Amino acid sequence: MRTPRTLEVWKLGTVNYLKSLKLQDKLVSERKANRIPDTLLSLQHPPTYTLGKRRTDHNLLIPEAELKSIGAELHYTQRGGDITFHGPHQAILYPILSLRSIGFGARSYVEALERSMIEFSSLYGVKARAGNKCETGVWVGDRKIGAIGVRISSGITCHGLAFNIDPDMKYFEHIVPCGIADKEVTSLRRETDAQLPSEEVIHEQLVTCLAKVFSYDDVVVKEDPSAILNTLEDDD
Amino acid sequence: MAARFLWASRVASHLRISIAQRGFASVVLKDLKYAESHEWVKIDGNKATFGITDHAQDHLGDVVYVELPDLGRSVSQGESFGAVESVKATSDINSPVSGKVVEVNEVLSESPGLVNTSPYEDGWIIKVELSDAEEAKKLMDSDKYSKFCEEEDAKH
Repeated sequence: MRTPRTLEVWKLGTVNYLKSLKLQDKLVSERKANRIPDTLLSLQHPPTYTLGKRRTDHNLLIPEAELKSIGAELHYTQRGGDITFHGPHQAILYPILSLRSIGFGARSYVEALERSMIEFSSLYGVKARAGNKCETGVWVGDRKIGAIGVRISSGITCHGLAFNIDPDMKYFEHIVPCGIADKEVTSLRRETDAQLPSEEVIHEQLVTCLAKVFSYDDVVVKEDPSAILNTLEDDD
Repeated sequence: MAARFLWASRVASHLRISIAQRGFASVVLKDLKYAESHEWVKIDGNKATFGITDHAQDHLGDVVYVELPDLGRSVSQGESFGAVESVKATSDINSPVSGKVVEVNEVLSESPGLVNTSPYEDGWIIKVELSDAEEAKKLMDSDKYSKFCEEEDAKH
């Protein structure tokens, strides 16, 4: 009889990017030591541009000094992928999972993240598809609606996916998103005429789709973000 | 399958080691040692060469970037010394043994895909001077590693 698999979900609201990195580092260590089950962070960021391990900053089209004037931050990370933008009305999921427990490799993990976003899009009648080779992510036609950038260390994942609900698209004009120059970025708002529920509901639906794709038996939702966010201050 | 076996035979005769044909797709070479994190190591006196296995490269997808360590840097068994990027995921590479980096495969900076097409030959990643020859005993031989891969793949 297979042991039931539990996913613990933290709904964090809007979190500063650096704080979320610190939190993920901590959770990755905890997961590696088996002190916590597979964990998922559901959140949004204030306007933030991020780069991956390859540091492709030639894809940032405005000088770094100007970012403050548009109310955005820039961060270099260890995740895979190119430059991207995170901001309000973009749903972010950071799964902290043990891939070895489920026998997944990088490729099958990323494909499952893509399927989660595709499944979620279909709830609104949006026909999304996984990217072609070298275009990892989720697309509606030639327009990118969901991005992926992941880090795997000792088989534990961090970073994850970003799905555009209705972000301010002007922010994307300052970058070559994901290093792909000739394709547009889109959002759920732009791809459907359907009435969109509250963002809280949207996040829940996205989490449910991911839990289903990854075959979790139980999903435990933790709604007090201060419980883990505040412990970060104690470590300073 | 036949093509992969032929490739494996060519690799094996070049490296002068024997191979075993397995039921599942990935190639495992007999005279190498393996870590649970899917790195292989070839020990030659007090020098070791390592890379990632065929199983690892298959599960990663197309490698687009390899982060190599600096020469002279120490590596420790089980600790990360570099990373590969594929499908927007960076995966740490762990050292199967401890030692000092004496050579890195610079070709991978231009041709990271060699890790996929030739994981045991042209896709080698670093060479180290061993600091503790006994450590290799903690690694798996090819039979144990093959079984390990089968068990991992059966999980989903």
